[in-house]
Amino acid sequence: MTDEMVRADNVHKSFGSLEVLKGVDLVVKKGEVSCVLGPSGSGKSTFLRCINHLEKINAGRIFVDGDLIGYRERGGKLHELKEKEVAAQRRSIGMVFQRFNLFPHMTVLDNVMEAPCRVKRENRSEVRDRAVALLDRVGLGAKKENYPGQLSGGQQQRVAIARALAMRPKLMLFDEPTSALDPELVGEVLDVMKDLARDGMTMIVVTHEIGFAREVGDSLIFMDGGVVVEQGPPREVIGNPQQERTKAFLSKVL
Amino acid sequence: MSDQTTTERARPEAIKAVPVRHPGRWLAIGVIAVLAAMFIHMLVTNDQFRWSFIFTSYMPGKNGAMFTGPVLEGLRGTILLTITSMAIGVGLGIVIAVMRLSDNPILRGVAFGYTWFFRAVPRLVLAVLFGNLNILYSRIGFGLPFDKQIGQLFGIDNFNGQFYSIKASDLLAGFVAGMLALGLSEAAYMAEIVRAGIQSVDPGQSEAAVALGLSRGQVLRRVVLPQAMRVIVPPTGNEIIAMVKDTSLVAFVPVAGELFFQLTAIKSRTFVVLPVLIAAVLWYLIICSVLMVVQFFVERHFSKGYGAAGKAQQKLAGIAAETGGIPPYAGPRNIGGGGGI
Repeated sequence: MTDEMVRADNVHKSFGSLEVLKGVDLVVKKGEVSCVLGPSGSGKSTFLRCINHLEKINAGRIFVDGDLIGYRERGGKLHELKEKEVAAQRRSIGMVFQRFNLFPHMTVLDNVMEAPCRVKRENRSEVRDRAVALLDRVGLGAKKENYPGQLSGGQQQRVAIARALAMRPKLMLFDEPTSALDPELVGEVLDVMKDLARDGMTMIVVTHEIGFAREVGDSLIFMDGGVVVEQGPPREVIGNPQQERTKAFLSKVL
Repeated sequence: MSDQTTTERARPEAIKAVPVRHPGRWLAIGVIAVLAAMFIHMLVTNDQFRWSFIFTSYMPGKNGAMFTGPVLEGLRGTILLTITSMAIGVGLGIVIAVMRLSDNPILRGVAFGYTWFFRAVPRLVLAVLFGNLNILYSRIGFGLPFDKQIGQLFGIDNFNGQFYSIKASDLLAGFVAGMLALGLSEAAYMAEIVRAGIQSVDPGQSEAAVALGLSRGQVLRRVVLPQAMRVIVPPTGNEIIAMVKDTSLVAFVPVAGELFFQLTAIKSRTFVVLPVLIAAVLWYLIICSVLMVVQFFVERHFSKGYGAAGKAQQKLAGIAAETGGIPPYAGPRNIGGGGGI
């Protein structure tokens, strides 16, 4: 139990009458990089958004570092957590979005400093030092006074990663972090993510970058139709897929 | 690399072409110049304007109509009324807009009802109505609601649960009534403007903020509203300027300490009509000009990270990058060894 960072038990999620997740089971160990692959509409992004309770699940349980996400179980009954308690759970889960979602009215540095200063109420000058160090780490120390609109997509995504890291998360969720980027800018974002993986960050990455999954991933999860179809070490799943659906998908993207 | 390509081929001569002529433009300028000259000539030579009445002295021993004591008092009242009623309008407008976008159907309904009522009733009617509201109430105060009914329930006659009260005709008259009529009406319009602003912000913004652990209030204050301001400010400038002019309606409350009322008073005393109206026009022009300058700076403040300036810088950076002015991305660098985060 202690070496598990994320445990999903039979997770179901519907939007109206459309069932998007039909019983997802998943375990991600601490320090592991899990890459989630699958055709669009397979529910992989929805599942990721359930992990930090951006979407409420309809059935099943999700635990992050042993904590039940979004609910409290007391006397055999589930109680919804208050907004404040959900926010507290989200603090230790960083998320990076496909569309970056940087705050366009703040400088790059303010983007990174916002959450530690406002949410954790940490000392401003300490946060500033840490934010500058994080921006240096993603190679953007020189851009800290710029506004996001003045950066390229790849640079914006690297700032978004630094922004998530500023909260010192124990888990990082990446929702197709390179899908909105020009092909020549994908590499710089993947480099930052590889660097993060080497440092032992637990990561769940929804991606179409098979090369990244093979090189960096500790496990690969193939989702289709709202369920996990196949999972295992990336080289095995990619090199020798067992399921027909996985084979069909990989033959199209490889 | 780029140097090689430029040295291989000589740069051709810059294009020097004869520009297209626009005779229509010159004709239009000529027509406008003649009309402007005619207008200025009329202003100077037509003695019905009586400029000295407006500027220097409207009566022996008095200042010009624009600068006489009561008119300046009225100007102060107009500005004060604009500021206070807009403050009510903006503050309450934000609250109603947030209620309107709430998940709670009752809050949504109340906000809708409020907007419906105050947009439907003309401000002139509201001004008169608020001036006469003291017919409904003798006293207005803070205290237990339904205090008399509760008293009767326990057999106490005339139980008074009010901690503090004031005579309604003192409170709900003159300036306060005018301020409430204009402010409450304004809130309905501001609510719609703020709602449009909030809805114009990409939902990904609040999602990213929530994912960072910001509370709902923080998301609104720090992320959504500052971005919504870009959409909110221009129509709000319209509203403020409209409010400056609508303050003249409080004459019907009645409120005497207001610009147009005071100027009209001079008109009825001296029977001089046109110069008084010109004086009013000039004051309203001056106030609104000042407001337009203020609006320019406010808009510039809230377009940080978007505006033309940002775009131009982006372009420059792009050009610099193409010509090798900015070093290419050098890969992530590790600060202070592993596990540092």
